[in-house]
Amino acid sequence: MSYPASTRAPSGPPQKGQPQRAGTPLPFQAPFPAGAETRVCGSSTARSGLGTEQSEPSFHPEEGTRVANLRRRIAKLETCVSRAAPSLLGLGVPEIHRHLPGPGLAGGVLHEVIAATPEETPAALSFLLALMCLALKPKPGLAVLVAAQRAFDQWGALYGHGLDRLGVDPGRLILVTARTDKEALWAIEETLRSRVRPAIVSGALASCPDLTASRRLNLAAAALAIPLTLACTEKSSGGSAAATRWRIGTLPASRDRFGTLLNPCWRVSLERCRHGRPGKWFVEWNHVAHRFSLVEGMADHPSAQSTGNLRIAG
Amino acid sequence: MLVSPGKGGQRIVCLNKAARAGGLSLGELLSNARSKVLDLQVCDADPTADADALRKLALWAMQYAPLVSVWDEASCVDGLFLDITGAAHLFGGEERLLADLQHRLRSFGLYPRLAIAGTAGAAWALARYGKRNGMIIPTAAEREGLEHLPLAALRLSEDVLAVLRRLGFRRCGELIDQPRAPFGARFDTGLLSRLDQALGRASEPLIPVVPPAIYRAEVQFLEPILHQEQVLEAARHLLDKLVQDLARDAVGARLIRLLLFKANGAAVSLNLGLAAPNRDALHIAQLIGLRLYRLHCEFETDFGFEAAALHVLSAEDMPDQQARLAIGAHTPEPAELAHLIDRLQHRLGAGAVRQLLAQESHIPERAVRHRKGFAAKASTNPSQTRHRAANAQRAGKSSLPCAEATCSLAWTGNGPAGARPLLLLPRPESADVVALVPEGPPRQFRWRGVRHQVAASDGPERIAPEWWRRTEEATRDYYVVEDTTGRRFWLFRAGLYGRETDTPQWFVHGVFG
Repeated sequence: MSYPASTRAPSGPPQKGQPQRAGTPLPFQAPFPAGAETRVCGSSTARSGLGTEQSEPSFHPEEGTRVANLRRRIAKLETCVSRAAPSLLGLGVPEIHRHLPGPGLAGGVLHEVIAATPEETPAALSFLLALMCLALKPKPGLAVLVAAQRAFDQWGALYGHGLDRLGVDPGRLILVTARTDKEALWAIEETLRSRVRPAIVSGALASCPDLTASRRLNLAAAALAIPLTLACTEKSSGGSAAATRWRIGTLPASRDRFGTLLNPCWRVSLERCRHGRPGKWFVEWNHVAHRFSLVEGMADHPSAQSTGNLRIAG
Repeated sequence: MLVSPGKGGQRIVCLNKAARAGGLSLGELLSNARSKVLDLQVCDADPTADADALRKLALWAMQYAPLVSVWDEASCVDGLFLDITGAAHLFGGEERLLADLQHRLRSFGLYPRLAIAGTAGAAWALARYGKRNGMIIPTAAEREGLEHLPLAALRLSEDVLAVLRRLGFRRCGELIDQPRAPFGARFDTGLLSRLDQALGRASEPLIPVVPPAIYRAEVQFLEPILHQEQVLEAARHLLDKLVQDLARDAVGARLIRLLLFKANGAAVSLNLGLAAPNRDALHIAQLIGLRLYRLHCEFETDFGFEAAALHVLSAEDMPDQQARLAIGAHTPEPAELAHLIDRLQHRLGAGAVRQLLAQESHIPERAVRHRKGFAAKASTNPSQTRHRAANAQRAGKSSLPCAEATCSLAWTGNGPAGARPLLLLPRPESADVVALVPEGPPRQFRWRGVRHQVAASDGPERIAPEWWRRTEEATRDYYVVEDTTGRRFWLFRAGLYGRETDTPQWFVHGVFG
């Protein structure tokens, strides 16, 4: 089966424009209709709150709650198909939450995780699985991972003990293998539309779904209000209806005081975020406590610290 | 005495002992027989009823062996073949099996003649012409067993037998030692092939008796149907019929076969397995639709299908369940999961849905097993297991590991102590490694044509091969290696330097995320 030519071809202008846009705070990606705005914004202060948010990222705490309220109402208007109450998948890092519309990844919408380079696909996949671990922790239920054959075939197959080491219980994971991206998308949609209600549905595709496919996934996910995460090797050329897009790069792992490798670390950049702002972080995944934390720059990376201590001791 | 119409009037086809004692023989005219014996009981022979009865007996005999075949060449329906290869020990040996079979058949009012031999032909000959009932000859001793039997034991046609008799042959043994060429020229292939089959020189395929479908529904179309939608509609129609039968018996289908008959008589058959017993017409129709969708390119409709049949080959108990009153969030029902897995498997292929199971092994590639489908275990919910264990203790039972637990372990707490990669390569790939000392960690390695400078490494973790497997594998020293870009790999050195090999080889076995 062949892929559509448009998704395989490297896209010209939209990708080039991406890094420039990433640095500056984004305005709302999906402008809501004027009618909706007047209905939602009851007072003029609220409207000014929105305005301040657009011009400068830091705002008062009271205004912040008001803005958050407004955002929630707007989100409700936008995803009118949502039948279940949307749940949030908290990442546990306030610095990242400040860039997202709520304290965590929104449920019922599509989130894309892209590898910075094709060689960093394993890193993107493990970030995806870390998110899966966070989703599995609070509630019972299964996780479904739909993988297209081309997605990470060259890196081997998912290894049970490796998953366990990352924090995902392989006993709660259903692995679905599809031959092509198209079949994988079908399987994801079928899983979302079934009444199984897994805790999280994840996918691994060779290339991100295009606008139509991602809209379909959004609609299917909205009914369940569980997060839907997709790891892709390459970005689609067209637009995408995904709520967030994360780009994951590798980073040296953190060390314990004996110098052995401890936790995986990733270079995480939030490239696009509907109702939020992009950002870049160095993130460490604690596979025992199942928690993300920030790594404070590369200068005082644990490995550098440990060598310094050694020198003092000597 | 049974008679059937033959040349010149009614002729005898079957006799009992009393009639034989009266001097009657097979093939005699009924009028002659009546003149010899006065009080004859005569019935008409009914070959089709005989065949049916024999088939029923064959199905009964499937308790002894999986392959049972009815002997019906030239319509002399009078015997069964049981392929007891590998089944005799279940009854305590071949003698006991024969004795058991004899006893049971006698209790049916039948007087069987039984024999066991290495070939179907020899067994046939011994059962009919052997010196005594229940003869057993070992494999490769067919020749000795057949030597003294009459020629009729070779399953030959009447005219061949007559010619052989005219040539002066009486016993099988006389025929076995003769040169083959003149017989090949004189008789058609039947003689030599029967001889070879009896002696085990040629194979003889047995046509097994197939148990009938438990539930079936058929439909004939006025005009041949061509389109996938029409096939689906027909299947749905058939399912509606079947579901009523299934519901009446409180069973659900596990294995369904859809047969589509072409105009030229050929049939396309479509087997559908289900993850759990099911009698939901809508769900099964959906699965058929998905399967048809997957097959659409190999599906040749030529001139269309003119009939369709749906057989349920395997059914399991499926008691009615009270429909749940669904308010708000509910836990996933096992049925929903089974439906989803069915749909995914039928669209993507049988092996598409898998579950990972932990195995008790230190060898990384053997420590995980993939299982088709998904069986949710109780251990998925830790609180539930604890509850169950407490219950078991309260009941005074020691918490024995269940059969499931012995073959696959729980994931948490049983894993290996060392680091394990997220992605394991299907087979280790060799890498060129530069190390400071032969027994040390790598400093630089080249894998898939790319050179990686090692920034840090952890290890070694030594994994020795399993001595009880008698493999030629070497001891592996595993290292977690991080290159300067931050990517981490799982490398191992095969062979202990100095003890097992002088030039240890390096392999990449996995990638960390």
